[in-house]
Amino acid sequence: MTDDDVKQFGDIRLERVREHVWEMPREGEMRVPARVLASEQLLEQIRQDKTLEQLRNATHLPGMTKHAICMPDGHQGYGFPVGGVGATDAEEGCISPGSVGYDINCGVRMMKTNLTYAELEGKEEELVDALFANVPSGLGGGGIVQGDVDAVEGVLDRGVDWALEHGHAVEDDLAHCEDEGRRPDADPDAVSQKAKDRGKNQLGSLGSGNHFLEVQRVTDVFREDVASEFGLEEDQIVVLIHCGSRGLGHQVCSDYLRKIEKEHGDLLDSLPDKELAAAPAGSELAEEYYGAMCAAINFAWVNRQLIMHRTRRVFERVFGRDWEAMEMDLLYDVAHNIAKKEVHEVDGEDRELYVHRKGATRAFPAGRPELPSAYRDVGQPVIIPGSMGAGSYVLRGGERSLDLTFGSTAHGAGRTMSRTQAKQEYWGETVQDELRDQQKIYVKAQSGATVAEEAPGVYKDVDEVVRVSDELGIGDKVARTFPVCNIKG
Amino acid sequence: MSFELRDHTADVAVAASAPSLSGLFAAVADGLAAAGCEEIPDAGGERFPVEVRAEGVEALLFDYLDQLVYERDVRAVLPVDNEAEVREEGAEWTLSGSARGVPLADVDAREVKAVTYSEMCVAETADGWEAYVVFDV
Repeated sequence: MTDDDVKQFGDIRLERVREHVWEMPREGEMRVPARVLASEQLLEQIRQDKTLEQLRNATHLPGMTKHAICMPDGHQGYGFPVGGVGATDAEEGCISPGSVGYDINCGVRMMKTNLTYAELEGKEEELVDALFANVPSGLGGGGIVQGDVDAVEGVLDRGVDWALEHGHAVEDDLAHCEDEGRRPDADPDAVSQKAKDRGKNQLGSLGSGNHFLEVQRVTDVFREDVASEFGLEEDQIVVLIHCGSRGLGHQVCSDYLRKIEKEHGDLLDSLPDKELAAAPAGSELAEEYYGAMCAAINFAWVNRQLIMHRTRRVFERVFGRDWEAMEMDLLYDVAHNIAKKEVHEVDGEDRELYVHRKGATRAFPAGRPELPSAYRDVGQPVIIPGSMGAGSYVLRGGERSLDLTFGSTAHGAGRTMSRTQAKQEYWGETVQDELRDQQKIYVKAQSGATVAEEAPGVYKDVDEVVRVSDELGIGDKVARTFPVCNIKG
Repeated sequence: MSFELRDHTADVAVAASAPSLSGLFAAVADGLAAAGCEEIPDAGGERFPVEVRAEGVEALLFDYLDQLVYERDVRAVLPVDNEAEVREEGAEWTLSGSARGVPLADVDAREVKAVTYSEMCVAETADGWEAYVVFDV
């Protein structure tokens, strides 16, 4: 090992295992080592905040298996770092609401079209205005569906099946969603009335912060065979939707953090950060949380489904054609704040684990039984949104992901700058004008401050994040997209 | 009592101080409002009550801020000009307070998703009390 293979950041030591793989050796109360998957460039950014400290803290969770892992886009969060993956034993470990995060099943879905960029040019302003007017966003903007008690219960229980029953989906949408848009372990009774109260007015809404709806064009195809299986080609128009379970999911997380604090204080006291709150595997509370979280996952899938179906209607009006004629079909929907029971091989044995992905995307390669039949032979699509000035990527679950990351990869570009600093350095209207005039990207937002907070300059280089994912073999580059219209709350 | 917004890579933190614990809670709550809205109107909206009880001071602060986020979503108002009275009653801590609810339609507000326990600190100082809270945005 040479000097270049060791990094010392304060009291944290990282040793290079191989290209892009850094290991934080086990010491003190750590139950397992931690790993950071990053190039030198990304590691230099990751080390700037508390990401590494939070990653080390995550190794303290009971039942943590192999490594706690930081993805190439990792950055400081609360408790578990964003871009974190941690797998805990489902029998002897724990499940940690804090390691899933508040926005349960925050994720992205991509809808394809058969439109080309040339067909859209000249209609950008009309389209962005129509999307902004028809897709609820921001705070207090309501939802596409005015939910009542029955609607919320149905959504929590049946996920996208509920949307299908109520005319907001077609069968094919279910076939192209993770878990076909329904978590079978969902338990609506484990979701509090407070959570349901918050969710019922937000069903079918983007929210704010970094959530958005973006019309994009495919600019590059890197693997023709996989892109063909996915139905992607250069110059094609696609739509990306990024949002989560809204107030309902946030409340589920808050509720269970407090329940754990009251019922499993001894476990909580053994953890270095209270936000890592965890319920012991097999406990009543662990089962209750898992049921509530799965119900919130269903809520988020329906949320994105409603927005996607509304977008189809908007395109119909703007382009004067049926959405079916424009082949507006779902490519895939991926979650990036989630915990799931999955079976993985550990030391030669199959073990059931709670795989926590907080700001990380499942990236299963071909052959995994969980994949929908459309992708079982090619590997699942992985959607990596970038900033609104840098474009996004479609990857394919990589062959090495099961070995290195419990079948996971990055979830986005990852922030490098705080929101307060972003507002000091950028002015929303200026960012909007520059994106339109210099890059032909049309942005419409509820607030100029949101645009400033989400300016392209506050994010890591998504190209570098994806390069590392591709070179590690955890998520293979398939296609790149570039924004045309973007709406945000 | 006073608060300031502090840098955080992904989220927003509020640091607050006040001569009393009651003032401190209200200051953090005003920080929560500021994290979601830069220009809060001086008037408008009706006051509503907030009642919370918990087993400890930090838990009370968590539940109080969580309740304000809940009220914001179900009432469709931004809770501002927060007032709070914190008491220790036997093994419990209680908060009786109120907030002025500015209709969300009247402000340019962004969503704060939740209060977190991450790095949360409530401490007594020579001058009174101080707190640090990270909010998920």
